[in-house]
Amino acid sequence: MTERLLHVFQNTPLGRESLLQSLHFCKTLGVDLHIYVPESKQFLMYFDHDMVQVDLNRSYLLSPESAVDHARQLADLFDVHVTFLVPKNYTAAQLPDIPTHYTYMCCPQSISDLSAKIGLGYVGPKVWRIAKSSTFPVFMTGRVYKPWTSITVCYTGSNNANKALRWGLHLGHNSGMPVELFTFMERHNAAYFDEQLRQAGLWDELGDRVSAWHKIDRGSFEEAFYAVGHDTLLVLGAYSHGLIKVLLFGSKTEKIQAWMPNSMLLVGPHCAVEV
Amino acid sequence: MLKAARRKWAVFRSDDRLIVIAMAGLVGACSGLAAVALNRSLHFMGTALHTFHHHWWGVVLPAVGATLSAIFLNVLLKERAGHGVPEVVYAVSRYGGLLRFRSSYSRLVSSCLTIGSGGSAGPEAPVVISGAALGSNIAKFFSLKERQRITLVGCGAAGAIASIFNAPITGLVFTVEVILGEWRSFNIIPIAIAAVAGTEVSRLLQGNQIVFPRQHYTIGLPDIAASFGVVIVATVVSVVLGRMLKGMHGVAMRTHIPPLVRPAVGGLAVGLLGIYLPFVLGEGYLSVQQMIQGTFSQGLLLAILVMAAKMLATALTLGWGGSGGIFAPSLMIGSLVGLVYHRFLSWIMPTAILSNEGCFALLGMAGLLSGMLQAPLTGIFLVVEITGGYDVILPLIIVSALTSTFCYYIEPASYYLRDLIERGQFLRPGTDARVLSDLAVRELVKEVPTLLRGDMLLREFLTILEQSKEHLFPVVDPHSGAYQGMIFVDRIRPFLFDRQMYGVLMIEQLMESNVPTVAPDDELSEVLSLMEHEDLEALPVVENRRFVGLLSKSTLLDHYRKELIVQAGN
Repeated sequence: MTERLLHVFQNTPLGRESLLQSLHFCKTLGVDLHIYVPESKQFLMYFDHDMVQVDLNRSYLLSPESAVDHARQLADLFDVHVTFLVPKNYTAAQLPDIPTHYTYMCCPQSISDLSAKIGLGYVGPKVWRIAKSSTFPVFMTGRVYKPWTSITVCYTGSNNANKALRWGLHLGHNSGMPVELFTFMERHNAAYFDEQLRQAGLWDELGDRVSAWHKIDRGSFEEAFYAVGHDTLLVLGAYSHGLIKVLLFGSKTEKIQAWMPNSMLLVGPHCAVEV
Repeated sequence: MLKAARRKWAVFRSDDRLIVIAMAGLVGACSGLAAVALNRSLHFMGTALHTFHHHWWGVVLPAVGATLSAIFLNVLLKERAGHGVPEVVYAVSRYGGLLRFRSSYSRLVSSCLTIGSGGSAGPEAPVVISGAALGSNIAKFFSLKERQRITLVGCGAAGAIASIFNAPITGLVFTVEVILGEWRSFNIIPIAIAAVAGTEVSRLLQGNQIVFPRQHYTIGLPDIAASFGVVIVATVVSVVLGRMLKGMHGVAMRTHIPPLVRPAVGGLAVGLLGIYLPFVLGEGYLSVQQMIQGTFSQGLLLAILVMAAKMLATALTLGWGGSGGIFAPSLMIGSLVGLVYHRFLSWIMPTAILSNEGCFALLGMAGLLSGMLQAPLTGIFLVVEITGGYDVILPLIIVSALTSTFCYYIEPASYYLRDLIERGQFLRPGTDARVLSDLAVRELVKEVPTLLRGDMLLREFLTILEQSKEHLFPVVDPHSGAYQGMIFVDRIRPFLFDRQMYGVLMIEQLMESNVPTVAPDDELSEVLSLMEHEDLEALPVVENRRFVGLLSKSTLLDHYRKELIVQAGN
């Protein structure tokens, strides 16, 4: 079955940048694009063990009459076939239920006001819950469209990082782009990460399919990220720290998202892919 | 020691029933607490605002309450309004009982504002969704399975109803009859425990009091005969009330008034009605009590007027977006039905020996509730438990059973389920529609190892056919991968035995290009209908013009059976 990406379309210049990135993603990886043009500010996503209500800001409902045409015009530029999602089911008669059986979902960067914190595009509670419950990775676009030419996996040695690496290799295989690894060695030495890869059965895959591994052991977390290319797609596992730790020290993923202008693919605990 | 404890916990967790039974008490107690909180809040608001209703400006109180309720629900919590029960049934039907956590408190606050300020609605639907959401989220917290979660949703609803009415059997019966729709021991035992827990919480915090004081009635044969008349009146009133609610909602939706202002319009109209007929405001339990005790002093015509006004007020409150349920208004309108009918009988047949009008008020209550919900057992047990009126059980059964049956023939869907049925979203567990809704074309599609080209000669195809067990072959464009048509071996049999055709005929000449195709997102019920209509054993699945695979009836049946076993919990 063909892989499919769900994109929630925002009919604004910022939304156009997001859609361009989704289109680039689909074109590069041969993924089918499914676009949802929101009809109300809320929609629901039912996963196996959780449901998430996504609250969009008002800008998602701007000019609904031109939204489909705008999306189609952009898709034509990339020669990508687009399917527009029409919700079939509604909760409480008014809240559309959006299907969750996609391979990827794009959560575009929303506007940077406070309402974005409860919408898409900000690694806040909503995107966390989507990433934690879904079987698909969440594609988070940068603010401006920039085609990426390589894939960089942030590898931390955790289970989710192994999953992220698998997805990175999968994307590399489908796109034919080089895959690089990036590791900030905060508490462990290089041997530790090698061992983690061996235990996960991924060590043998690296030789053939990973072009470089940037192991950084100096400077701060933020400084280390200068080693990551400006035109690369970042793939990272959803860091599963406890609530208190996140409240005290903040989330690493959010730090990365705030610090890096690149598009990101956030891989949750239930995302599985064959390498 | 820790290992031993873990092993015990693992055994406990692995037993589906044990863990649900253990959780049921917790869920029942929590939902019972929610119901008590709403009950006390309504009592407080009723007492605090009572004097204000006597002022001329008291007319705006229901409007203010309804507006605040809408703001709370739609702006602060971003949760769409509704009375809640259909949402719970929908969640159970389609999504394994998944409910938002915010639903566990949102309707409590909003219905408190609506009803406490004078809106004509009841607190049961809000407590049902609160209890159900608590059950759902507790199940989610403990990572329980879907079937266990559905049972805990039922436990929450049962605990809430049991607590708000101090009626455990009603909680159990309502949940099984209306919310879950299946009588199975897997459900009934935990739900019964939850109902007991909810009732106990209520009794602990509010005392063991039934909603309406018990009266003694002597039922004779004339009363049983007269109860058939109650059936007819209750049926008519149930149908009219149901249509009024739906019609009023339609009117509200067609207006250009902003959604946040709509409840205020309904509330204002109720406030205006309340100036002349204060009976229509709030739950109306005081009037019901008077009718049961036989102390409702208004005459026949005024009683009819109050009944019509209460129906209108309920339609205005709920139809225009107020938050609340239909139980309490049904009880009041039903008791008026019984009272009016009794007075009318006494007027035209003064010598008839009938029980007092309180008895008929009970019959009317049961009739209207059974008619509106099309749930006769709920009607019977609710009236018996909240009034202690076991004396009237025989006519009560007649009225409830017949009213719900007649209402079913006039309106095949109950008030709670009408919208879901109209949208095709009412799927009871174990039914054909539900099983099919849980399966997806993409799960059942089978990849086909051999794809044919249109320019392939029949001779080449025969070589493939010799080594294949298939009898259906898709034809695709080798360059674009686009689907072109199907080859049915059965239908081209004459050509297969004609050697002269082997080097002449090409596959594109033999293929059928008008075979209907399905998409991976299509509903299986529609796909199955298509198969039956076209008399086909399999259909090609096509996405973006590309062939994906075949969906066959045998694969569908195989998965259907497996899904049915899962849903039946065997």
